[in-house]
Amino acid sequence: MVAFDNVGVSVPRLKTEKLTIARGGRTLLRGFDLAVGAGEVIALVGPSGVGKSSLLRTLVRLDEPAGGRVLVDGIDASELEPCALRRRVGLVMQAPVMLEGDVRANLAYGLEAHDEAALAAALAATGLDPEFMTRTARELSGGEAARVAVARALARDPVALLLDEPTAALDSASAAAVETLVRDLADRGLGVLVVTHDEALADRTADGLVRL
Amino acid sequence: MTQVVVAAGLVVVAILLSRVGKLGLERDLAITALRAAVQLAAVGAIITLVFDHAGLAAVFVAVMLATATFTSGRRLRGVPDAPWRAGAAIAAGAATGLVPLLVSGAFSTTPRELIPVAGILIGGAMVATSVTGQRLVEQLVDDVAAIETRLALGVPVREALAANVRRAATTGLIGILDQTKNVGLVTLPGTFVGLVLGGASPADAARVQLTVLLALLAVEVMAALIVARLVVAGVTAPGERITRPG
Repeated sequence: MVAFDNVGVSVPRLKTEKLTIARGGRTLLRGFDLAVGAGEVIALVGPSGVGKSSLLRTLVRLDEPAGGRVLVDGIDASELEPCALRRRVGLVMQAPVMLEGDVRANLAYGLEAHDEAALAAALAATGLDPEFMTRTARELSGGEAARVAVARALARDPVALLLDEPTAALDSASAAAVETLVRDLADRGLGVLVVTHDEALADRTADGLVRL
Repeated sequence: MTQVVVAAGLVVVAILLSRVGKLGLERDLAITALRAAVQLAAVGAIITLVFDHAGLAAVFVAVMLATATFTSGRRLRGVPDAPWRAGAAIAAGAATGLVPLLVSGAFSTTPRELIPVAGILIGGAMVATSVTGQRLVEQLVDDVAAIETRLALGVPVREALAANVRRAATTGLIGILDQTKNVGLVTLPGTFVGLVLGGASPADAARVQLTVLLALLAVEVMAALIVARLVVAGVTAPGERITRPG
């Protein structure tokens, strides 16, 4: 069952057309349509196991859809080189994994050409001080790691961000900071799709709500 | 005969220790010891014949390669076409050492020299292939969150797995690195001991042992790299994704 409530459709950064997702012989989503415009936060809510995380994985082709298609700025995602797609659409997983090394190494991971100013700007956008650059990434708190994970995606200059339960493991102060961050990201022109089981969070931050 | 009786007694000790330590390896230890006894008795019975016939020697080397392939292939559980990938790594690794040693004349191609040298090099390649491959397969399951995090950051599968490959190969090469570092200080390897017991001078035995050990470094590094590369290829799906082994 899919219900739409005030879903914006202007200039979609990210769009799905009749997307079908199946796992292990079970169809999770069938003919699913969604649009996330520039500057919009769309919240995706629903119970566990309904296919929310599978949808996010499919949007960046970590899984392939069983049918339908994904469009990024109007371009069919299957026509984009997968690595390029994943830089344009940043996925921040639930309980994000910090990679080896310091925060700077995490932000720069896999980037062939980057400048320090761009990394610093990505970090600053998440509200973290510049001194975090030299902190060992795996020693950060949950809230700090969540922000670094967002900064890591931002360092790739994406057009859209996918956030999977961004506040699930955080204390209330950290969760509030992440909520503010989500709105800030949209205000920068990104399309933001947030998966959450917390409808109150969705009400506070999202422009539109999709129930699965 | 005394040697065999004492050695068999030590197998019983190993089995008792496994039981006391609750390792659950008693059956494996017994079967392994029995298998080794049968295999060595069989080799002892036919080796004279093989040494006298080059054709049989080639068959013998082929059997060694096939057995090593089967053994290592089982370690790559869940990887498609695992035996072929293991066999390619072992063959490429062993050839890396064997070809220069034979072409240069360091060892002759007579069965009496070819079989022991090929056996040692194939054995080394098998160990490096098994350990590296198994460690990499384990990481593909245990470390999948970090691997997919790297993929989601826009790097290709090969780069996303680079740290895992490095860790697996390092583990796979610990044995030969430690053995070579400590040879003569902690361990006296089989080639050296066998040659000395067979009547060779210690100097000659040491020269042959050094040749084999140094060749094994190249053999095992090659086998580890090839099996890692082939496992990565085996789990890479179209679209820069991984399929978990299993």
